[in-house]
Amino acid sequence: MTGVEEIERLPTGVPGLDLILRGGFPRGGIHILQGPPGTGKTTLANQICYRHARAGQRALYVTLLAESHSRMLVHLGTMRFFDPARLPEQISYVSGIGALAADGLPGLITLLRREIAAHQAAIMILDGLVAAEDSARSDTEFKTFIQELQAQAGLHGCTVFLLTTARGEAVPPEHTMVDGIIELTDVRYESRTERGLFVKKLRGSDYLAGRHAFHISEEGLVVFPRIEAAFRITTRPDQVQNGRLSSGVEGLDAMLGGGLMEASVSGVIGGTGIGKTTLGLHFISQSSAAEPGLFLGFYETPLRLMQQAARLGLDLQGVVDRGHAEIRWQPQGENHQDELAHQLLEAVSSRGVKRLFIDGLGGFMESSVEPSRMSRFLSVLTNELRVRGITTLYTLETRDVIGSGLEMPVGGISSLAEGIIALRFVERHSSARRLLSIVKMRGTNFDPALREFVIVEGKGISFTRSFEGAEELLAGFAREQTARPPSPAAEGR
Amino acid sequence: MATILVVDDEPLIAMALEAALEDAGHRVTTAANGRQALEKMAGTAPPDLVLLDMMMPVMNGPAMLAAMTADPRLRATPVIVVSSLTEAKIRTLTTGFVATLQKPYTVHEVLGLVEQVLGKVAEADNLG
Repeated sequence: MTGVEEIERLPTGVPGLDLILRGGFPRGGIHILQGPPGTGKTTLANQICYRHARAGQRALYVTLLAESHSRMLVHLGTMRFFDPARLPEQISYVSGIGALAADGLPGLITLLRREIAAHQAAIMILDGLVAAEDSARSDTEFKTFIQELQAQAGLHGCTVFLLTTARGEAVPPEHTMVDGIIELTDVRYESRTERGLFVKKLRGSDYLAGRHAFHISEEGLVVFPRIEAAFRITTRPDQVQNGRLSSGVEGLDAMLGGGLMEASVSGVIGGTGIGKTTLGLHFISQSSAAEPGLFLGFYETPLRLMQQAARLGLDLQGVVDRGHAEIRWQPQGENHQDELAHQLLEAVSSRGVKRLFIDGLGGFMESSVEPSRMSRFLSVLTNELRVRGITTLYTLETRDVIGSGLEMPVGGISSLAEGIIALRFVERHSSARRLLSIVKMRGTNFDPALREFVIVEGKGISFTRSFEGAEELLAGFAREQTARPPSPAAEGR
Repeated sequence: MATILVVDDEPLIAMALEAALEDAGHRVTTAANGRQALEKMAGTAPPDLVLLDMMMPVMNGPAMLAAMTADPRLRATPVIVVSSLTEAKIRTLTTGFVATLQKPYTVHEVLGLVEQVLGKVAEADNLG
């Protein structure tokens, strides 16, 4: 039996891109990087060159553009990957404009052949393919140019990248001939824009299809593989976990049948000001060396959360000081949902997090330019968190504060979680009272009773009594129980 | 008025330099690489000054400077290296130039340096 041969890869070193390309571009091939001006083609190409120069290889950058090399280098000077010490021995910038103008495509191919050989280039960039295409007298001549380039690249073991703007043609002739095509876009979504990367073709190789968001910073391009594609299959198999983690709220663990199930995902839903974040502070304050915690918040700064925890009598500061918990604040703004998710997965992996509190899912929703993705996105993300053995509690704000509805902001959210804890205000004796109920806790003999709770300085969440009558509760007029029966879950303990 | 040879593979850079130097009253020729420049200087009087890029196809700046140094007829021709590389880096690659000018530059900077180098050459000639 013959085994399947692996294609030799040229890693790009661009964060996220090699995951999308399953290891990098096939080495020795010709690849097109295309996109409108300003989408990052030149930055990407240079980033690849400098990455390989650092590894001791040589790259040749040939331009057919009006932009001078010196201007390009000035712009690259703002990037961390740029290293002028590599010039000109390892990375050389030459112009092909003269050769193209004087002798057309045959002159250009001669120049490229000689320069690849002279520089012993492992990578060659041809920036401005459109100029070569424009100078071709026919499609056939242009195809011949690409074929000759392909032959030269193969002969010298050189991987070639052709940079070009997309012209809107159905299928440009060169697209059928090259080994890979990457398209960069910068698309407007209402008042914001988001950069996107597509792999349109990668001969002989699997890749993550579809659009992947990226940004350009002083690090160069950073690509965020679309979560649904990158973690469609989880990174490790799921394992049955029988452990329980304390919620940190006295009485709630009993209602939960012994605490939150290890490696599960539960939602805390309720209106604004009901105490969702407070519940999270309890949960994260239970972090320990054995159960490191992470509080990912979108709304309140770490300082304010620390102050709030201190007022509630929770030693969050001590837990953080001991390195058992981390508070990450991600201010709302123009975040990218995939970036947030990758940062989250990196943060939980780097510290072996077991307790995760996300305050709240609204932060991911607000960051999305494609709300229709949200249900699938969260489903894949939470699956990945589960297989990593993380017990996740997230908040989700409902629109109603007091009323009969319990409307989820996004469809399909409740099915993502093993458990749902609902927090509600009810009106009684002309004052708003807080109620907690466990709506579901999959696979657990939980206590479905409605419990009133208060948030007390120096103590935090504290249960007072049970209520009966779901209709009254949902109408906002719950009635106190005269005698409180023991809960089934609490009975056994 | 001096005769100046501009050697740069980027046509727009070469053209811009040519125009600026001609406006300043100099006679200018251009070449797209070192080999073309050596061919242009063969059989004619060497220029008064060469403005030389470093990274070029066919024959780069250091190779051309080495060829000029080896040629007794061209050895004395002053060369200003015009490059994106720093002067320190240029000194690790080649010798035989009289000054460097880092890209990108302004017309004022290039004309100032050209006049300065030509002035020194004239002064040396007078002393000699």
